[in-house]
Amino acid sequence: MPDEPPPFLGSWRKVYALVLAYLAAVITVFWIFTRYFA
Amino acid sequence: MRPLDWVVLVVTLVSIVAYGLYKGRGSKTVNQYLLAGKTMPWYAMGLSIMATQASAITFISTTGQAYADGMRFVQFYFGLPVAMVILAATAVPIFHRAGVYTAYEYLEKRFDAKTRALASVIFLIQRGLGVGLALYAPALVMSVIFGWPDQLTTLLIGVLVILYTVTGGIPAVTWTDVVQMGIIFFGLVLSLVLVLRMLPHSVSVLDAVYLAGAVGKLNAVDTHFDWNNRYNLWSGLLGGSFLALSYFGCDQSQVQRYLTGKSIAQSKLSLLFNAMAKVPMQFFILFVGAMVFVFYLFQAPPVLFQPNAMREISGQAEFSGVQRKFDSAFEQRRAAARAIGHAGDPASRRLHVGEFKAAQQQLNGARQQAIALFEKAEGKKGFNDNNYVFLTFVTTYLPAGVVGLIIAVIFAAAMSASSGEVNSLATVTVIDIYKRHVRKQASDRHYLMASRLATAFWGLYAVAFAQYGKNLGSLVEAVNLVGSFFYGSLLGVFTLAFGFRSVGGTAAFWGMAVGEAAILLVARFTAISYLWYNVIGAVVVIVTGLLLSRPFPNLRNQDALDQQGGNVHG
Repeated sequence: MPDEPPPFLGSWRKVYALVLAYLAAVITVFWIFTRYFA
Repeated sequence: MRPLDWVVLVVTLVSIVAYGLYKGRGSKTVNQYLLAGKTMPWYAMGLSIMATQASAITFISTTGQAYADGMRFVQFYFGLPVAMVILAATAVPIFHRAGVYTAYEYLEKRFDAKTRALASVIFLIQRGLGVGLALYAPALVMSVIFGWPDQLTTLLIGVLVILYTVTGGIPAVTWTDVVQMGIIFFGLVLSLVLVLRMLPHSVSVLDAVYLAGAVGKLNAVDTHFDWNNRYNLWSGLLGGSFLALSYFGCDQSQVQRYLTGKSIAQSKLSLLFNAMAKVPMQFFILFVGAMVFVFYLFQAPPVLFQPNAMREISGQAEFSGVQRKFDSAFEQRRAAARAIGHAGDPASRRLHVGEFKAAQQQLNGARQQAIALFEKAEGKKGFNDNNYVFLTFVTTYLPAGVVGLIIAVIFAAAMSASSGEVNSLATVTVIDIYKRHVRKQASDRHYLMASRLATAFWGLYAVAFAQYGKNLGSLVEAVNLVGSFFYGSLLGVFTLAFGFRSVGGTAAFWGMAVGEAAILLVARFTAISYLWYNVIGAVVVIVTGLLLSRPFPNLRNQDALDQQGGNVHG
């Protein structure tokens, strides 16, 4: 099976970086949520 | 359960099974039956991965955990997206190019037959022992809440699962998972909307969040590191990613989901979809639990949520004092909660928050006394009613039709978790054991028949196991704990396979054996939290494998495997 490029962003590395950036953003939002309410 | 609830429940379950039978009608070859002929799009695999991981008990107990102890449990899922990225870059292309049906089949291509046999036997023992649990756990809760006999419930769910998994194979399993996940999402959103609408009119959503936060229910991120507590940011990221690596990378019940992809890219996307959706979903479930807590600030909760325990202690002489203490603490807490909502300036708000916390402590004290009464009467420790909180709320307060939907959600989660396990156990039984060691040369029709029979066997085995679950309570827990001992060594051997081309079969096999022994020794003689067994096991396997690769070098021709994509750096 050929390793085809992802349907967006052009390279898998960029897609992986996007997912990890998303995780960091989610954790940051939760952290602010915790600081503000808990 | 009112008539409308029964209609919703029955229609939902019948639709799921009918859809599964319809989608699985084309499975005429082993490849179609076990790998869907490699035709699956990313969203079907991604939802199937999520549905297989989410069992009924995830749903029932996660809400209860948030009610009792806040949202800190979400942190254990922080490592999952990291693991998904690593697996998308390594396991997905390697397994796909090797053209395998199971993860363990790849181990023979990369190492040798004995390593494959050991890994597949470990999987069969670990998954096989726990397969009835996904059916039994929700049936037990239903039997307490509704009085439904748990043996009948497990038989009913089990037979429905067997119907579509045996006839349709993995296309049926995957597409029913998609529908089940849709029902789960819908039920979750509806529960949150309803619980927020049932709060008193004077309490806004922001007030509700503030009240939950005031008593520490919204502790979603804890940045203090503690080795022995898995619910902090660092344990979640590190321990959680190791656990997710072994579950999604070495456990056939998950690997088989993404082996059905129509291309490597689609399979990668399915894991990355799971990476994006899983943490918010867990947050959402926990948030529902925290809002149920706020609801019970204004409506008196039972002292204990487990109805049988309440019946047991309510006859005792000492209980009336406990109930009075609980009632007065509840009234004080309700008054303080209302005062917080009406407080104009920060100073008076702080004053009421102090009263609120004090009343909460009083209430917890009364609950502890009630638990002590029950434990004394039963003669055993460890009472926990987390699993009954959400369902007690649902059955007491939610309108007709919605109760049936929530029960359907719980059944759907039980079905999707057990169908994936049954289907993968059958695959490993046929591909790694029967076809490899029993009948090596037979027709495709023969192996298709064997796959159907193996699926029926594991389905019936799961039902039979769940029938006796009542007598196996603590045994089941022990099995689950021992099962987690095996994950580390599997993760270690796959890491050797993907990353260290100098390591051959003999070194990998003994690395696995030494890693397994190391985990058992750590479990027996140290106080290390079981969260880290996985990490220790994997590291011992890798180090042992590398050391043994000197006396037992890799004699395989790695270049041939590289052309199939058998190594990362090919």
